[in-house]
Amino acid sequence: MPGPAIVVEQLVREFRKGPRAVDGINLEVSPGEIYGFLGPNGAGKSTTVLMLTTLLPPTSGRASVGGFDIVHEGAHVRASIGAALQEAALDAILTGREHLMLQATLQGIPKATRVRRADELLERVGLVEAANRRVGGYSGGMKRRLDLALALVHSPSILFLDEPTTGLDLQSRTALWDEVARLAHDEGMTVFLTTQYLEEADALADRVGIIDHGKIVAEDTPAKLKAEIGSPTVEVLPADLATGDAIAEALGRFGSPTRGGRGSLTVQLPDGEAQLAELVRVLDQAGLHVASLHLHQPSLDDVFLAKTGRKLEGAAEEDPDATPEETTKRSRRRRGR
Amino acid sequence: MRRFWFVARGVAWRSIHNTLVSPAILVPSIAFPLFFLAAFAGGLSKIAQVPDFNYPPGYTAFQFVFVFLQSAAFGGVFTGFAVARDFDSGFARRLLLTAPQRSGIVAGYCGGALARWFVTGSVVTIAALLAGMHVPADGSELVGMLALGILANTVSALWACGVAMFLRTEQAGALIQMPVFVVIFLAPIYVPLSLLTGWIHSVASVNPATFVLEAARGLLANSPVDVLLAFALLGGGIAVMAFWARRGLASAERAG
Repeated sequence: MPGPAIVVEQLVREFRKGPRAVDGINLEVSPGEIYGFLGPNGAGKSTTVLMLTTLLPPTSGRASVGGFDIVHEGAHVRASIGAALQEAALDAILTGREHLMLQATLQGIPKATRVRRADELLERVGLVEAANRRVGGYSGGMKRRLDLALALVHSPSILFLDEPTTGLDLQSRTALWDEVARLAHDEGMTVFLTTQYLEEADALADRVGIIDHGKIVAEDTPAKLKAEIGSPTVEVLPADLATGDAIAEALGRFGSPTRGGRGSLTVQLPDGEAQLAELVRVLDQAGLHVASLHLHQPSLDDVFLAKTGRKLEGAAEEDPDATPEETTKRSRRRRGR
Repeated sequence: MRRFWFVARGVAWRSIHNTLVSPAILVPSIAFPLFFLAAFAGGLSKIAQVPDFNYPPGYTAFQFVFVFLQSAAFGGVFTGFAVARDFDSGFARRLLLTAPQRSGIVAGYCGGALARWFVTGSVVTIAALLAGMHVPADGSELVGMLALGILANTVSALWACGVAMFLRTEQAGALIQMPVFVVIFLAPIYVPLSLLTGWIHSVASVNPATFVLEAARGLLANSPVDVLLAFALLGGGIAVMAFWARRGLASAERAG
């Protein structure tokens, strides 16, 4: 694919009687890249995905996906993308296999290939046993896996995943992460992933865009974003609480240690994690014993806090500008739908 | 164009599949016309003895034509319910997201409506024949009557798709059904037009459904009347309703 997989320029979406859900965002995603779109509920993540997948026309601005304009070349965009949206809308009457066959028919895949492709994907997402059961009886995790398989039926070059692991247990979440990473790294698929989970963006994304109130407030690799915020910290728990003052004095070489629970001391390493060895040597030379020693890297939550003044967790509750659509989705999730 | 047909085929397949495997969908669409046939052809059969009732094949055949066309029209209406249900459940969004050529979605729903009606229409025809219906029509006239049914089904399905796509909720059901119901029942369904009097005669005289019904009855009786007019009316109806359904689809696309 020549050029970027996704290009977004000054994209805006306004809802009638509502706020600007997406407020002039710009971004570019390279082929084969996993782009994590991180933000709280109501930040504009899903609205952006709906526009990029041609489900919602933008109010202004332009975007191209797979080299095709999302407004004027929607049919070409849809042919080159796969998408698993926040709620896996499946037909309770159809079986998993029938869903795959239907999706393949809609995409114009020849019958012989359809059958083979359905078998392949059922195997890949671990639904072979349940393939001929109606999806009305599937668990949430099975529906998510089927949804992913449906998005991959026509081997798209770009995959959109809108909060793919919301509501999944840890095992299913990890399996989905592995599959997404494999798709990007082994098959060269471009992945645009929205999430409100920091660890998901951190674990999967080559680059992260942080969106808040419809605007991208930060964008880079997770490592660079975190490096921007500051250096790592080390938390030292003395083996003997009586040596706390001596340890504080030793750590004073690196900065002013702060005291925490159970007598722990935390100090920032101004020159990064390379100073950890030096810190250990200092403690050793002073004959001070520690029960544990933890290195804390800055998290994307710290990045979000620095850029927006709020913690990511709970930001949605403070958000007065959530679009009606996103508010509905949120309340549905709370009701367990 | 290939993409259009692939989409239409996929959507039609699902519609037919769900109709056949789900009694909750299939049974009402068969039960209604059978009920009408039993109630009207059986209960009102004495109408055939009214002076000026001049329909040689008899009252069962007279009522059969109405039930045949009514089942065609309501086949379209039931498809509209399915479209509205798909929007409520979110499945329609999947179709909009997947289908490269979205107009194929409307064509697919219409194909599904037609297939559903073929089942219903066959059952109704068999029931009428078992009830002793006399059929003087020749082969081409029967084909003509079938064609009128197909066109009526398509007009109705396009109307229903349009409404369902504009409103995108199951609550659209009443609005989908009511106009079709009114148009059909303001036609001369129990007695010939000549036996109607007063305002109902005036309304029925200009109701397009009257011309379609009379033409179909004429074809079954082997004495065609206003057949071209009926085809023209239904052809025009398809053109108008195709535009309406396209607008409905555009509305759904705008809404996301």
